Amino acid sequence: MTKKNSTPLHRPYDQILPWLVPLLLLALWQTGASSGWISTRIAPAPAAVLEAGWSLAASGELFRHLWASTQRAGAGFLIGGGIGLALGLLNGSFRVFERLLDTSVQMIRNVPHLALIPLVILWFGIDEEGKLFLVALGVFFPVYLNSFHGIRSVDPALVEMGRAYGLGNRSLFRHVILPGALPSILVGVRFALGWMWLTLIVAETIAASDGIGYMAMNAREFLQTDVVVLAIVLYAVLGKVADAAARWLERRLLRWNTAYA
Amino acid sequence: MNTHLPPVQDAVARRPHRNAKGVGIRIDSVGRTYGERTVLAGVDLDVAAGEFVAVVGRSGCGKSTLLRLLAGLENPDAGDIRLDGRPHADEREALRIMFQDARLLPWKSVVNNVALGLAAGHKAARATALEALDEVGLADRADEWPTRLSGGQRQRVALARALVHKPRLLLLDEPLGALDALTRIEMHALIERLWREEGFTALLVTHDVSEAIALADRVLLIEGGRIALDQRVELPHPRERGGARFAALEEQVLRRVLQHPPAMGRSAAAPFGRWRWAA
Repeated sequence: MTKKNSTPLHRPYDQILPWLVPLLLLALWQTGASSGWISTRIAPAPAAVLEAGWSLAASGELFRHLWASTQRAGAGFLIGGGIGLALGLLNGSFRVFERLLDTSVQMIRNVPHLALIPLVILWFGIDEEGKLFLVALGVFFPVYLNSFHGIRSVDPALVEMGRAYGLGNRSLFRHVILPGALPSILVGVRFALGWMWLTLIVAETIAASDGIGYMAMNAREFLQTDVVVLAIVLYAVLGKVADAAARWLERRLLRWNTAYA
Repeated sequence: MNTHLPPVQDAVARRPHRNAKGVGIRIDSVGRTYGERTVLAGVDLDVAAGEFVAVVGRSGCGKSTLLRLLAGLENPDAGDIRLDGRPHADEREALRIMFQDARLLPWKSVVNNVALGLAAGHKAARATALEALDEVGLADRADEWPTRLSGGQRQRVALARALVHKPRLLLLDEPLGALDALTRIEMHALIERLWREEGFTALLVTHDVSEAIALADRVLLIEGGRIALDQRVELPHPRERGGARFAALEEQVLRRVLQHPPAMGRSAAAPFGRWRWAA
């Protein structure tokens, strides 16, 4: 195993290139704001956003909101993703369960889950449960669909081989079915992470007493555009972090697959 | 002594496996139909323990179906298959099959592919698998992904995976069909050597008459759903392809195969459409 295929000459260049456009835009924005072209009521200067971030971090408030949001996102993701994975594996594996459940799931899937917000508020009030419910629902479908599809698209030739080599149902699932479905499942996870943040943003702007969405809505009341923009930037960063984590997982779990290695 | 040998090779002496003896096959008026199409109709066959039998025939003649019935991947609609006099279903552990494609699990390293289905603990299974890989000359590729191997190497891994279970019956479903001519000849020598060392019964399905004659004690021709020719090959192993008797025999069998027009319809692939793994 040699590690000499990367081209060391181009490495720094490759690292900088994707950041060139964002940096340029940021510089333009900063110049525009400080020269008075852009009203700070519309968009505060990047430096002002940074400053707002700094002061909020210093008071510890930023981390309180960040932690609340992350917790909600994580818990919702685990619940919705867990159910989606379990149901996808079940329906993909047993024809009976597919016949029994898939139609119902597909019907519910066609309802945009954010349309349920009024109902969710009636059910759960404005407490934590409602937000968890929404996030879990948003995460459920992509994970379910892709797990189901992953199981169904495992190469039947490999399954036949496994059977011929004396694997029982359990070993067959562990050694053949699950690893075969994993690329698809991870695609579902990446989609789900996108839905997770989106749902959370909406849920937190409706009713919350902490979290980044609450921070943004609160700042809007006081016309603190810098904090509003900070919240948006934070969502972008969190989304990027989640995506990077999913990519890392893909690279790690799908090492065997030349498309990810 | 060669000092550059990998440690694995030192540990494994070339030993004859006389303990793993072949299994005798008795096929009694076996039939198989797919819907309207009769693929096999009343096939009778006796194979002695340790014999190497090749089955040839035009594509779609049912030779692969016969092998799949023997492997227990499909059930016959009529008739009976017995291994060493016992019902075939009880002897599933005694047989292993090699497919047309290697069917290695791409998410397992070469050695873990070979160890698939071994009951022993992880360490013991790995040692056994490495031993089998050494037999096919691929011990040095043990920890690579299968995708990095060539077609011939993949089939060698598949062969190791089959032999690691010490099968008493090895079924070969055109395993060399996709390989180039030189690799095929290498594989012939390898299969023949392992067959002689391990003493298993072998049943090779092939469309290549020369391959059948190079390897087998008997060459069967399946035609019209039954065995139309049962030709003994009395040439000493290893066989010389250039020899006059080899060529004459090949010519004779080939002529017989070509006597009849090709079967109608498509080849007899298994109906996978409705199939579910946990059915």
